[in-house]
Amino acid sequence: MTTSAARPLPSTHGPELDERLVVCDRASRTFGHGSLAVVAVHDASCAVTARSRVALVGPSGSGKSTLLQLMAGLDSPTSGSIVWPTWETGPFQDPSRAGVVFQGLSLIPSLTAAENVAFPLLIQGLSHDVAIAQARESLDLLGIGGLGDKVPEELSGGQAQRVAVARVVSSRPKLIFADEPTGQLDRVSGDRVIDVLLDAADHLGAGLVVSTHDATVAARLDVTWRMHDGELVVAA
Amino acid sequence: MIWLWLVGLVRRSPTRLLAAAGGIAIAVALVAGLGSFLVSSQATMTQRAAAQVAVDWQVQVAAHRSPGSVLKAVGSAPGTRTAVPVGFADSPGLRATTAGTTQDTGAAKVLGLPPGYADTFPLAIRVLAGNVNGAVVAQQTAANLHVTPGDRVRVARAGLPPYWVKVVGVVELPQADSLFQRVGAPTQSQPVAPPDNVILLPASRFNTEYAGLARTRPDLVTTQIHVVRDHAGLPSDPSSAFTAETGAANNLAVRTSGAAVVGNNLGASLDAAREDASYARILFLFLGAPGALLAAALTAAITQAGAGRRRKEQSLLRARGSTPAQLLRLVLVEAAVVGALGGLIGLGVAAVIGAASSWPWDVAAAVAGLLVAALVVAVPAARDLRTVAAGESARALQHTRPVWMRFGLDVVLIALGLAVFWASGRNKYSLVLAPEGVPTISVSYWAFLAPALAWLGCGLLCWRIADTLLFRGRRVVAFASRPFLGPLSQTVASMLMRQRRLVSRSAVLVALALAFAVSTATFNATYRQQAEVDAQLTNGADVTVTESPGANATPADGAPIAAVSGVQAVEPLQHRFAYVGNDLQDLYGINPDTISRATTLQDAYFQGATASESLAQLRSRPDAILVSAETVNDFQLNQGDLIRLRLQDAKTQTYKSVTFHYVGIVNEFPTAPKDSFLVANADYVAQQTGNAAVGTFLVSTGGNNVSSVADQIRSVVGTTGSVGTIDDARGLVGSSLTSVDLSKLTRLELAFALLIAAAAGGLVIGLGLAERRQAIAIATGLGATRKQVRRFGSAEPAFVLLVGTLGGLSTGWGLSYLLVKVLTGVFDPAPTGLTAPWGYLVALVACTVAAVGLAAIVVIERARRHARTLLRAI
Repeated sequence: MTTSAARPLPSTHGPELDERLVVCDRASRTFGHGSLAVVAVHDASCAVTARSRVALVGPSGSGKSTLLQLMAGLDSPTSGSIVWPTWETGPFQDPSRAGVVFQGLSLIPSLTAAENVAFPLLIQGLSHDVAIAQARESLDLLGIGGLGDKVPEELSGGQAQRVAVARVVSSRPKLIFADEPTGQLDRVSGDRVIDVLLDAADHLGAGLVVSTHDATVAARLDVTWRMHDGELVVAA
Repeated sequence: MIWLWLVGLVRRSPTRLLAAAGGIAIAVALVAGLGSFLVSSQATMTQRAAAQVAVDWQVQVAAHRSPGSVLKAVGSAPGTRTAVPVGFADSPGLRATTAGTTQDTGAAKVLGLPPGYADTFPLAIRVLAGNVNGAVVAQQTAANLHVTPGDRVRVARAGLPPYWVKVVGVVELPQADSLFQRVGAPTQSQPVAPPDNVILLPASRFNTEYAGLARTRPDLVTTQIHVVRDHAGLPSDPSSAFTAETGAANNLAVRTSGAAVVGNNLGASLDAAREDASYARILFLFLGAPGALLAAALTAAITQAGAGRRRKEQSLLRARGSTPAQLLRLVLVEAAVVGALGGLIGLGVAAVIGAASSWPWDVAAAVAGLLVAALVVAVPAARDLRTVAAGESARALQHTRPVWMRFGLDVVLIALGLAVFWASGRNKYSLVLAPEGVPTISVSYWAFLAPALAWLGCGLLCWRIADTLLFRGRRVVAFASRPFLGPLSQTVASMLMRQRRLVSRSAVLVALALAFAVSTATFNATYRQQAEVDAQLTNGADVTVTESPGANATPADGAPIAAVSGVQAVEPLQHRFAYVGNDLQDLYGINPDTISRATTLQDAYFQGATASESLAQLRSRPDAILVSAETVNDFQLNQGDLIRLRLQDAKTQTYKSVTFHYVGIVNEFPTAPKDSFLVANADYVAQQTGNAAVGTFLVSTGGNNVSSVADQIRSVVGTTGSVGTIDDARGLVGSSLTSVDLSKLTRLELAFALLIAAAAGGLVIGLGLAERRQAIAIATGLGATRKQVRRFGSAEPAFVLLVGTLGGLSTGWGLSYLLVKVLTGVFDPAPTGLTAPWGYLVALVACTVAAVGLAAIVVIERARRHARTLLRAI
């Protein structure tokens, strides 16, 4: 096992803690038309700040992933609005604004862990050497520096998901969205991933929204938003 | 369970299933189409071989036996349509007195023809002047005696007084060799040349003049039964037709108890066609087998593109309790569905394009499709089943260096191919050996190994190059792709390095498909070019004006022809006869400075020198002469030797000795016969003989509007000359080159080659990328712009295209060289070099690039648009 112990992440200067990074105002997302229309998210209103540590819970098909993608700017609402007050446009296509940890094993199979982590940085135009150095730094920070030269096929599910978190961290985003990050992991690996996510959010001073149907995971976050049949219930 | 699996397969992977069936369909359609070509071309060859025979059987009636009973036996023989008696008599000589001079000839042949003979055997007699309703003389006899229709000829008889006949026509006997054969004698005992002096009489006159002689000297007067056989009833394959005709002839000989000896001209012609039929089979193998193999490889690649998904499914089913036997059944069902679907589509395609006319081949193609499906679909899946069962990592397979590469199989195959090529060259690439008269025929199929091994070796070498480039040369790949990929270039190079086995395999498939297409197209273009050369060689030029005997046209008579609209050049060509020793040969007088303006002279026409060098040698001295290789051997000539020929003097009409200097060897020349002939300077010949008469005017139209220009020339020359065109010659040339009609095969091959190349590029890239669309979706999910995603996704197709195209074009060109060399026997004359079909090649590359580009764009854009869904499904 090449995984090393995670170092505590030092806190960094981020946006004002109460600054609202994303605001949903009666946002809805409907797929399809007419009788085939499926309302995935209905009139969702919420806001995420840099202080937020949100667990978005609900059964499968309740609309968690859709709402997450709306807030990340990966998708657009069919009604209502979603705004990112800090930025003029949505955070999508700018990994330094928002990073998404996807549901499954979202690493590019034929790239090493370090190359996967460096990929968003390369997209941003950083040179290869700088991006790789920064990626290795992120992997070290998450205690998985020894995995840098391995390809995803050689990683366990937990290791791969931590590499995916490192990929988000490497861009130093202000918002982190994690879509069922522990869904395919055992308890221990899942706990480690949540540890890493919380440390990363603290370190970056970023808002964190984690969708999950696991109550144990939800309990480790500050607030829990519940979704049911596309309806969002935000705790006071 | 099988039904559920099948429904799931159709619902979840219809594209992959259809693509695999499409690969099988290409193989089936190709094999069915080529089989149809083979059957139809063999039938064409049989019919053409039969159609070009003037007299199918010449049945010699033995001395002292009744011609009537033999005629009856021949007439009742199965397959006989018409049988007529023809009298043959020997004459000590002919004499004619014209324009105050008397000409005597040596021994002559006199034939007695029944009424309507010229109509019954239209290829036996061609009327040059007058008609055939009386005594007619052969062309050379007319020249020897200086007679024209209306003149009288005295015919001498052995032991009897001569008789006189009035000439009513001058004819050509196009198949005089077989007409005057020694029936039943072996080849080496046959006359070297047909008689120079021939006179044809109506049967009634012949009987009157020779009835007495037949009784006293039966050795001088004989009877032959000339027979027309039923060609429609011949088996379609020349070998079978030859066997059938030989059997029928033998049967007649037995039934007549030795009274008849059959000169089987039809059998001899079919005998020669057997060689062409063998070449047709060779072409089928050379040009068809790689296409079918490629289609199978394409199906294998398509199947392989889904290997990862299949392994996952098999693992899942195993985890849920399925036994290996159950999984194997599912695999076999998938193979059967792919094979059956591919077979049906393939036969449907073949029927639509009119290439499914032979049901045995259709059935064989369909069965082959099922076998290929079993081989490329079931076998890999069953192998995966073992690896899944053994828990072997797919990645371990992926990154293992292929065994063949470690052992240098590519280099070994190429070396073996070249060795076989060298060995075939020592045998002058004679692939087909059809001993005359012997039913067996031998084909040197091992010569196929040269291009086959080279093709496979080059394909593997292409794999090695791609692999090496991606592995050891990834810095070069990164540097080269930097202008397009920017900072991503090194990462993409690393990605390709790790996918190199799949990428290299795709590049190899594209290279092999392109090599097949290029070599087929180049071979076909060279073949067409040589067919054109053959036609021009036969006709002489685009248009030729052959002056009638006695017309005495001069070079100045070419001026009115040159004035015809559309005529680019006119070249006078002298045609004389010259005695080389006792051998009468055709002599062509040319102007070496201008001959090339009106006709094409290929290097292959000459031996030991190029066409331009040979013409320069001819220019080097006025009395220079080019002679045939046979003459050089017969007379042991060395370059520069003085030779004396006997040419007819215009004033004295007698043959006089003229000196020439031998400067080179000529094998072929426009309008010249296949056997020995001579080429000299026209001015020198005119000066020495006092006669500048032109035999033929060669007319170039630049290949344009040949028939309309010919029509205009006909109106200019009137009855003084006959006008022939290259279009007429195309239908007449009977060499092995044109008797194997490649036009249908060409269209079929080129269309399939294009399809396979485009499919290889498009499907393999499309399906391969589809398997890796996860990477494109992740790149999109991580915020890459549309441009970045497109360039990121295009790296693999671009590399495959670049290596595949370069490898395919260079391999194809090399293979073309091998093919044309190995198949030298198909060409007549042999080509000087390869003919590049530029239009097709450009279209081929364009289609492949377009197919790959389209497949890449479709997959990338779909993955980009559905990134969200794909990321959730990962």
